[in-house]
Amino acid sequence: MSTGTEPETEPEAELTEPGVETTEAALESLLGERAIARDDHLNAPGFVINPNDVQDVLSDLRDEAGYDHLSCVTAQQYEDRYESIYHMKKFADPTDEVSIVVPTTVDDPVSQSAEPVFRTADWHEREAYDLVGVEYDDHPDLRRILLPETWQGHPLSKDYDQEKPQLVTLTEHQNPIQPDHHDDESDTMFLNIGPHHPATHGVLHVKTVLDGETVADVEPDIGYLHRCEEQMCEQGTYRHQIMPYPDRWDYVSAGLLNEWAYARAIEDLADIEVPEYAQIIRTMGAELCRIASHMLALGTFALDVYGEFTATFMYTFRDREVIQDILEDLTGQRMMFNYFRVGGVAWDLPEPREEFFEQTREFLNELPAKVGEYNDLITGNEIFQTRCIDTGVLEPEVAKDYGCTGPVARGSGVDYDLRRDDPYGYYEQLDWDVITRDGCDNYARVLCRMEEVEESAKIIEQCLDLLEDWPEDERDVQANVPRTLKPDAGTEIYRAVEGAKGELGIYIRSDGSDKPGRFKIRSPCFSNLQALEEMSEGEYIPDLIASLGSLDIVLGEVDR
Amino acid sequence: MSGATTPSLFPLQNGGDPVLLPEHITELTGLGQFGLAGELLATFVAAFIVGNFILAMTGVAGPWAKRKITASFTDRIAVNHLGPGGIGIIIADAVRLLAKENIIPENVDRPAYDLAPIVIAGSAMLGFAVIPMGSGIHLADPEVGLAFVFAVAGIASIGLVMAGYASGNKYSLLGGLRAVAQNVAYEIPLVVTGMSVVLFAGSLQMSEIVAVQNETTLFTIPGLEWAVPAWFALVNPFAFVLFLIANFAEVGRNPFDMPEAPAELIAGYQTEYSSVYFVLVYLGEFLHIFLGGAIIATIFLGGPAGPGPDELGILWFTLKIWGVFFLTQWLRSAVPRVRIDQLIEIGWKGLLVLSFANLGLTAAIVGVIA
Repeated sequence: MSTGTEPETEPEAELTEPGVETTEAALESLLGERAIARDDHLNAPGFVINPNDVQDVLSDLRDEAGYDHLSCVTAQQYEDRYESIYHMKKFADPTDEVSIVVPTTVDDPVSQSAEPVFRTADWHEREAYDLVGVEYDDHPDLRRILLPETWQGHPLSKDYDQEKPQLVTLTEHQNPIQPDHHDDESDTMFLNIGPHHPATHGVLHVKTVLDGETVADVEPDIGYLHRCEEQMCEQGTYRHQIMPYPDRWDYVSAGLLNEWAYARAIEDLADIEVPEYAQIIRTMGAELCRIASHMLALGTFALDVYGEFTATFMYTFRDREVIQDILEDLTGQRMMFNYFRVGGVAWDLPEPREEFFEQTREFLNELPAKVGEYNDLITGNEIFQTRCIDTGVLEPEVAKDYGCTGPVARGSGVDYDLRRDDPYGYYEQLDWDVITRDGCDNYARVLCRMEEVEESAKIIEQCLDLLEDWPEDERDVQANVPRTLKPDAGTEIYRAVEGAKGELGIYIRSDGSDKPGRFKIRSPCFSNLQALEEMSEGEYIPDLIASLGSLDIVLGEVDR
Repeated sequence: MSGATTPSLFPLQNGGDPVLLPEHITELTGLGQFGLAGELLATFVAAFIVGNFILAMTGVAGPWAKRKITASFTDRIAVNHLGPGGIGIIIADAVRLLAKENIIPENVDRPAYDLAPIVIAGSAMLGFAVIPMGSGIHLADPEVGLAFVFAVAGIASIGLVMAGYASGNKYSLLGGLRAVAQNVAYEIPLVVTGMSVVLFAGSLQMSEIVAVQNETTLFTIPGLEWAVPAWFALVNPFAFVLFLIANFAEVGRNPFDMPEAPAELIAGYQTEYSSVYFVLVYLGEFLHIFLGGAIIATIFLGGPAGPGPDELGILWFTLKIWGVFFLTQWLRSAVPRVRIDQLIEIGWKGLLVLSFANLGLTAAIVGVIA
């Protein structure tokens, strides 16, 4: 986006109309005196505001200008200040972005919390506090979120001593039976679900308060799989050393989708044009990953609702296995693909090409029958319907408030898909539909994923046609990219792609070197998981488990 | 022959011909001449034989078969290394399970914690005493046979509560509570549906129920000269289906496996059990499934009846039990579990009403025919 010099001012009345892009002039007049400076990012105009104006500004932006999606909160420390950036978008048009930059002094890094305006800021600000050390005034529950409560210092702050040993006492991991959290006044029972529990899909700890079998309170406790991914990316060079990491965020077969998030951010930051041919391969690979990921989501959801001996789980794995084979042929790996490169992909389709096309087409031809089988086995099952319809209800407004994206939001009728709304790759030229369902319940989310599988198959089919007919001498898989990438110091960008679970965003600030000054990952699962509380309170334990399953979280991405 | 003059454990019914297994053994070994003590010994020998037969089926073949059955439902191979079809895994499993350390958590409530596995497994074993398995394998035939089976099978609920409550684990507690709620809700439909069979047979005695089913001919398939016996499953399919459903809830299998529900409650009341205790609890589960199958086979599927000579009875009977077992595994692979409140609702509002309707209807029909 340009920094904009167009003088015309939009009338105030048109500000909130969906689809109408808010001009910078309108933003300026809306923020008025509160914008004390400009700090434009490559993706969006940026306004610097006072730490005390956060709620005021954000609620104005949401209510007056329609920026209803707080996509991400990035915090970072400069030599002279701390900074929190609120990356805001519109659900109606995610290309219409604005960044609100909130600097605070090093001595007293206190900034007003955005939580009262956007619920999703709750966890995002806790993470900023935990890792960077910015404190948020008015935040309801400012505790560490990824690191243990006894951790000393904030790992991404400047004065953090990595060499200093950390003492993590075992109090947190105490036998949960020991202190019986029994309340004298009420009949509720405290129950630890996880971190080792069959239904948490990884190491997630859900602190639950039960009233009989009814869930009275839920609080997910995350961070068990925190691997400092952001910091590791900050220590790698743009050109080659960062790309392997995204595979390890959402590690269940969504690798290429994650890689694309980084690829898109760095390519826009360094202004690299990716050859069309490479974009088609990327699109095809990413959609294969999406199918694999949705199959896994379906299978594990069946585990939660059917029990551990269900056939569905194995059926989905059987079908996913075919995709894994295709991806293995394409990328050379089954899980940690590392196939995308800055400016393209690592190599062309495997030889002999005909065999690859044939294999992939065969999979696509068999897919409708398989989806039909799933519909017979799962969604058509009456018991399954009584279990899933009207349970785990997530109203669209709540979903937006929590920053939910992906199938979770689309299952609640939020028509938001970055592939269409903020096009990248080759999606714009292809013919496919965004699936939304209005059920807002577990059933809608499952159906949404299953229908997305069919849409992805459509996309792959078209990509295959294009790839097959592509002239042999124009098969460029990589753009010309300098050996060392050194974007100008101080350029900042936030770019997101539609990952398997939703909006996967990357914020990069360049400091002039060949490594990022700040690398921030906006994980869709992180935001989606926040909504669990809203979905499961007042319902039964089985519904809590089913809702958790229908959110389709991967802890590798939640904790990063 | 034990004469009419000496008191006997089993007064012979059918004109002095031995019917029950202890009688056969008394006769064959000549233990009868030692009077009551001899008969007692013969009874123990008979119980030993029947018990081992059941254990071989449930404890030894069952888990292996279950692995293979679920594997074929879910597109897997399962055990295949030791012996043909991996059948040698049975020995390895037995050694593994028995050799493991029996971990007893600090906070458990003993001796309830220790007794629960025995109650769970033992109650189901008792039920097999009155089941006529064909080929002369029938331990006892009291006049209240059917009531006895339901009564002893119901004892298992106590075992489940004991296990759930004594484990000192919240998941176990929830599992135990669910088990009670479920068993109370489904035992009534089960018994009431069973009563409709009694109305037909006019007796609670197991041998009598089997006999009535096989003596009458429901209809003859024209042209083939096949006399279709009046098995109650054919006479009253409605009762049969009701009984099947209630039985699945009773043994806690999909769609009613709420007490365990591993995705929710880890393993419910079993969570804290390990080693031999775990074996007993699990054995109890298997025994209950097989006992459920045995009851269904006896009161709905003509017991040991089948084509061929009577000596093949035990074969047919075993087949019928395994048929029910197979069905439970099928459901496990294919059917979701209902939620606990839905389960209770189905039990109290659905099955209970239907089972009483069935009972009333059956009574009316039997009355009209009679």
